[in-house]
Amino acid sequence: MFRVIRDLYVNDRRFTFGFTVLVFFVIISFVSLLSPYDMRAWNAVPRYLPPSAKHPLGTNSIGQDIMWQAMVATKNSLLLGAIAAAISRVIAIVVGLLSGYKGGIFDRIVMVMTDSFIILPMFPILILIATILRSSLNMVVLGVVIGLFGWAWDARLFRSQILSLKEREFTRTAVFSGLSTFKIVLTEHLPYVFPLVMATTINNVIWVIGMEVTLSMLGLSNLNTPTIGTMIYWALQYQAIFLEMWNWILTPVTICVVLILGLYMLSTSISEYLDPRTRLQMIRKG
Amino acid sequence: MRKKSMLLMLALSVCLVFSSVLFAAEPPRNETLIVDILTGKVGNPGNFNFWATWVGNDKGLQQLVIDPLWMADYVTGEMINVLAKENPIYNDDLTTMTVKLREGIYWNDGVPFTADDVVYTVELSMETPGFGYHTQFNQDVAKVYKTDDYTVVFELTQPNSRFHYQFLDRWGACRILPKHVFETVEDPLSFQFNPPVGTGPYKLVEYDLGGYWFLYELREDWERTATGMLYGKPAPKYVKFIYVGDASKKAMAMISHELDMADLTPESLEVVLARNEYASGYYKDFPWAELLHPCVTGAAFNTLVPPFDNPEVRWALNLALDAKNLAMTAYNGAVAFAPAYIPALLPYYEHYYERLLPYLEEYTMEIDGEEYKIFNSNLPFEMAEEAKRRGYDVPETEDEIRVMFGYGWWKHSPELAEKLLLKNGFTRGRDGKWLLPDGTPWKIEIVCLTAATNPSFKWAFAIANQWASFGIDCEAIPTEQCQALTESGDYMVVGGQPAAEPFGSGIDLYRGLNVYHSQYWKPLGEKLVGHQSRWVNEEIDYYIEEMEKADYSDPINIDLAIEVAKLLIDGQPGVSVASFPGFMGLDTYYWTNYPTGDNPYAVPWYHWPNLKFVLPFLQPTGR
Amino acid sequence: MLKKYYIPRLIQYFTVLFIGLTLVFVIPRLLPSNPVEHQLSRMMSQGQYLDPSAIEAMRETLEQLYGLKGGTFEQYIDYFKRLFTGDLGPSFTQFPTPVMTLIRQSLPWTVGLLFASLSISWIVGTVLGGIRVSFPRSRLARLIELLIMGVRPIPYYIVSLVLLILFAFLWPVFPMSGGYSMGVKVGFNARFILDLLRHAFLPILSMVIIEIGGWFLQMRNVASNIVEEDYVVYAEASGLPKAKIVFMYIMRNAIIPQITGFALNIGFIFGGALITEIVFAYPGMGYLLYSAILSGDYNLIMGINVFSIVGVSTAMLIVDLIYPLLDPRVRYQ
Repeated sequence: MFRVIRDLYVNDRRFTFGFTVLVFFVIISFVSLLSPYDMRAWNAVPRYLPPSAKHPLGTNSIGQDIMWQAMVATKNSLLLGAIAAAISRVIAIVVGLLSGYKGGIFDRIVMVMTDSFIILPMFPILILIATILRSSLNMVVLGVVIGLFGWAWDARLFRSQILSLKEREFTRTAVFSGLSTFKIVLTEHLPYVFPLVMATTINNVIWVIGMEVTLSMLGLSNLNTPTIGTMIYWALQYQAIFLEMWNWILTPVTICVVLILGLYMLSTSISEYLDPRTRLQMIRKG
Repeated sequence: MRKKSMLLMLALSVCLVFSSVLFAAEPPRNETLIVDILTGKVGNPGNFNFWATWVGNDKGLQQLVIDPLWMADYVTGEMINVLAKENPIYNDDLTTMTVKLREGIYWNDGVPFTADDVVYTVELSMETPGFGYHTQFNQDVAKVYKTDDYTVVFELTQPNSRFHYQFLDRWGACRILPKHVFETVEDPLSFQFNPPVGTGPYKLVEYDLGGYWFLYELREDWERTATGMLYGKPAPKYVKFIYVGDASKKAMAMISHELDMADLTPESLEVVLARNEYASGYYKDFPWAELLHPCVTGAAFNTLVPPFDNPEVRWALNLALDAKNLAMTAYNGAVAFAPAYIPALLPYYEHYYERLLPYLEEYTMEIDGEEYKIFNSNLPFEMAEEAKRRGYDVPETEDEIRVMFGYGWWKHSPELAEKLLLKNGFTRGRDGKWLLPDGTPWKIEIVCLTAATNPSFKWAFAIANQWASFGIDCEAIPTEQCQALTESGDYMVVGGQPAAEPFGSGIDLYRGLNVYHSQYWKPLGEKLVGHQSRWVNEEIDYYIEEMEKADYSDPINIDLAIEVAKLLIDGQPGVSVASFPGFMGLDTYYWTNYPTGDNPYAVPWYHWPNLKFVLPFLQPTGR
Repeated sequence: MLKKYYIPRLIQYFTVLFIGLTLVFVIPRLLPSNPVEHQLSRMMSQGQYLDPSAIEAMRETLEQLYGLKGGTFEQYIDYFKRLFTGDLGPSFTQFPTPVMTLIRQSLPWTVGLLFASLSISWIVGTVLGGIRVSFPRSRLARLIELLIMGVRPIPYYIVSLVLLILFAFLWPVFPMSGGYSMGVKVGFNARFILDLLRHAFLPILSMVIIEIGGWFLQMRNVASNIVEEDYVVYAEASGLPKAKIVFMYIMRNAIIPQITGFALNIGFIFGGALITEIVFAYPGMGYLLYSAILSGDYNLIMGINVFSIVGVSTAMLIVDLIYPLLDPRVRYQ
């Protein structure tokens, strides 16, 4: 396994970029636990300072060190994205694949449930939850909630993939060979569907982070915790763009872009590796 | 094929870009005053029937089209006679009110304004459930009739010296509707009243179907309106009310000279001042904001929830605050302190704060047998020093400094706060954070509105920060449900108003203080009617009842209000910080002579109905 | 065929509709904002003076007017009865204007904006995705991919704000706010339509920029599977012209999930685009829904969500019914 990673790292530039970015941000998340400042405090340091040795990214208008804020924000957003994506992927895969393959009444009932989740009015429910939980709305809880909203759509997608795969020759072969449903889905279909899963995961993470930003903008999230969304919110509130405080507004945006780009590169590279045909192509190329 | 489609795209883009030049049809900019809609996008723009209360006032209706009988001006302290010719006349036992109306006023469709309209307004409200004053008038008015075309008599159900307050416009009142329009309507509740027929100097021309802008034009017969008679011809021929978006967009619009008056945040005002040399705040320099607003802001405790039910705890929390730091964090120092639950208004300085100052300076708190004087009357001067240090221009005279910064606030006394808390069973945990008497960590949540420009938000965050550095685990929680939570009592501390808003005209503070009367008190869980803090004190009831018995202009009201203020200070149901600081931006590129700090001749806010009285004084710059 | 596929699918459709409509009745009532209290506090914040007994009486009156007097179950039955006649009830925040009227005022703006941006981003994204896969070594295609994927993660609010600042403020080519200009007569004339397009350009552009990435990515993934299929390899080997392969073989097969996605997204149009409306001061349903939620306007929340529920469910139904026609392999189930 490590050999594979090493090979990919050396040979595939996209993997290099993506992997480096991911590892970098994970390390930052851990370093952020060492932050010398209380993230909720204002005026902990003098305001409006330009970047210097003590404050590598300067300080913002509320008197917070931007670099440490950004680190904690990365940790929180990564945590949120990971939890939400994990929960929604797992549910989506299980529901989509099983339902698509089994068919019949099982499929019908599961589809009714899925469709109900799709049409659920997300906004009122999010506001409801945000109000009830209020201050205990930390990243984990928010991640779970957003995850529960994000699976239905992709479950349908996976299901439709399975529906077409079901009629393929290799499936019939597997059935005739006596493989159980579970094994078929796991060993035959899952690898085929995996690139799609990767793609939807990226979509999902982007959506989750975007949703978090939107919620922060509308004041539905906990504005005291630094996340990419809340950093942007405060920066905009204090007119960072017009006051040309580029260090404040560009930091969270850049983190967001680099993170997602990195994840994207990583996912394309991994899914090309996993798919045997494209893996051959890759080997052929390099 | 490719070339052709490219040419087509090019042509279309050119058309798009230049269509503004070819098709512009807006009224001439130098004859138009463009003003912000404070409350945001209008939900149902075609509906102007705001007696039915579901329609907003400030899209231009109250400011330009509709008139009340009387108007309050909190800058001069006067009660202006608008549709009424003089002050209301009460009989000796306060059961009848007579109103003499101004003559020669016409509705904007040419019909004369008479007493019939006033009588019809009141009677229609009493008949129509759903009209705003329906229940109130049914409760207060026994009979209303006219004795001649310009005199109306109200017979009240019980003695009430303040009945005319219903018609005194202070950002709202019962205004007069046109009888000849409403009597033809089957269902007054669903009537759209489009276009609105009013006695004001402007009439509606056009409005945006999306609810973002409204255009008004000066009436040709403006001399036949109260505004014209009192102040002369309004200068702008057109007034446009437009909501461009949040503070960033308002700043952008003002920089491009597309917005003349707008409500901004301290930061966006800073941006506008930096990029638009014609723009100014209420003050040209520090503190920029209008500090004399008839509204005390700060925070309120939920006094039914422990530990906030203990007045010593509330005092401790007040003393733990550093007023100067609060002002700097929230508003860069642009704050007029108001520690006595009475707004820091020019008229109130004279009647109230001058008298309270000696009392406050002598106010002592006794803890463990020792006495401490806790008022800092030097604060305004400290603020001035701080401002000077930051390089701002501040006035030199004591009076002017007091006008700018108020009369002072409680001393920052964390040691006293500590003593009070320890006395009441609180302890400090191993990490230095405070623990409740039962040993659990003390966590305070301050709920507030989500609009970051609102003092509720600013004070909540500033106060939360200070309490956190004092050692309490404190967080500010902006939530859209803020109102719902305070109404049902499901909160600990709320960023907002420690007292209700008084009129600002005259000396009467009844409206601001009577929310504390115990008849309004409701336990937790029941919907609130009185003050959010649900704090009561029997002695206050006595003084408020005495105020009710007195005539509204009787100077005894001052004495009574001061007693109430003293009781409020003792009880501290909230954190009474300062008057609502208003950061308005004014662009002088097209219009000058706005009411400003240097020239405070009227209420400066464009969303207040007093706007129509400001318009005759504006001067076009000729650009 | 009919019995095995269509009828069960229709039953599923109606069941989901029923669940959705019930949920949309229940959820607003669970929100802490109470429309009567909200209206009362709104009245008082508009400067109206009410003493406690007047407030109590007003409360009664409002509850009566709003139809909130009866028990919840009676209101529920009433709600469904009214739905069948297309009556969504009166709005509480704009009483007594019917919800239908309010929706009718905002709907055209939302539909126009979202449909235009959906279509444009779908077409461009799909085509670009297909091209990227069909010409895997093209540097131009890779550059475009990098650009699209690089812009996609930027939070939408920032993208729209930056566009606004660049093209409506620094270089005022487009208007800063509104759906159309003052003085332009609303109607089917060239002047109004041009003005409309001018105001809608930036909002649509901002949405297209963000959405292209999604369609691009999806197309790319589906198509990359297809490119390796035997029949494509065979077609290439037999020397068919490249254009024919790209369009008839790759895209034609990859487009099926894309169409599915498109149809489903149409259903979501009714949710409005809140941030677009906020940033560009553009009229539409997003803000209508948002303020309805905040003020506890049950009927308005229900009304708008009814549209989106019916829209999405119907879109899903249509997609499911059409899918067998598009993909022969599913037909033989």
